[in-house]
Amino acid sequence: MAEKGDRLIFFWGRECPHCAKLHPTVTELSNQLSKENGKGITELEVWHSEENAKLMRTYGDVLKVACKGSLGVPAFYNEKTKKALCGMNVTRDQLMAWAKE
Amino acid sequence: MAVKKLWRCNVCNDVHYGVRAPTICPTCGAKNAFTLIDYPETMKVIIDRGDRLNEVDKLLGAWEAFAQGKPFKLNPDVEFVRTLAKGELENEKNHGLKYCPCRMTTGDFEADLNLICPCNFFIQPVYKETGECWCGLFVKRE
Repeated sequence: MAEKGDRLIFFWGRECPHCAKLHPTVTELSNQLSKENGKGITELEVWHSEENAKLMRTYGDVLKVACKGSLGVPAFYNEKTKKALCGMNVTRDQLMAWAKE
Repeated sequence: MAVKKLWRCNVCNDVHYGVRAPTICPTCGAKNAFTLIDYPETMKVIIDRGDRLNEVDKLLGAWEAFAQGKPFKLNPDVEFVRTLAKGELENEKNHGLKYCPCRMTTGDFEADLNLICPCNFFIQPVYKETGECWCGLFVKRE
């Protein structure tokens, strides 16, 4: 499990249908990454956890750019590289590149 | 940014929230009938008849009406739309307003008013690029 500050984070919302659609891909990729280097993807639900929402907001500047304006889910933040992906059209290949950069 | 104020039609008590008073009352058609009022008076003038958009089907009806005659329509995937409606009702229960479940609040109340559904998705880059609003609730008509 990655330490805080070195995590690959998946910010998601329980009632967001795009998050639900992406979830299996994220889980599968996370399992693969865990096997490869012991660092999977940390999943943080934001609409029902103020703590997770606050963390998401601290990465707001980068995430807003990735989400094209406002904070949104599904969103991915790499704490090490400070790079983000956001939106319904994020692909497995993009996630892999984001995770391994 | 100009500050919005409350205005009351002195003919039918229609209430308007905006920078300027409407010239013609949209409810009774009276001309130049709006006068400045304050928040406490507004709360007393508005009669709560118990109408609430607090059920999925009611929300779907409001969205259908909103899209009527416009260059966009409600997403034809009914289950998808119902999931979004449930999410908005959940957000209203937990956070006070029907925020888009595919967005996230910033903590700045005024800024977050832009996240209430339906939002002003016409100006969003995503709508221009893909023909869908951020969450996919509204899609461009073919």
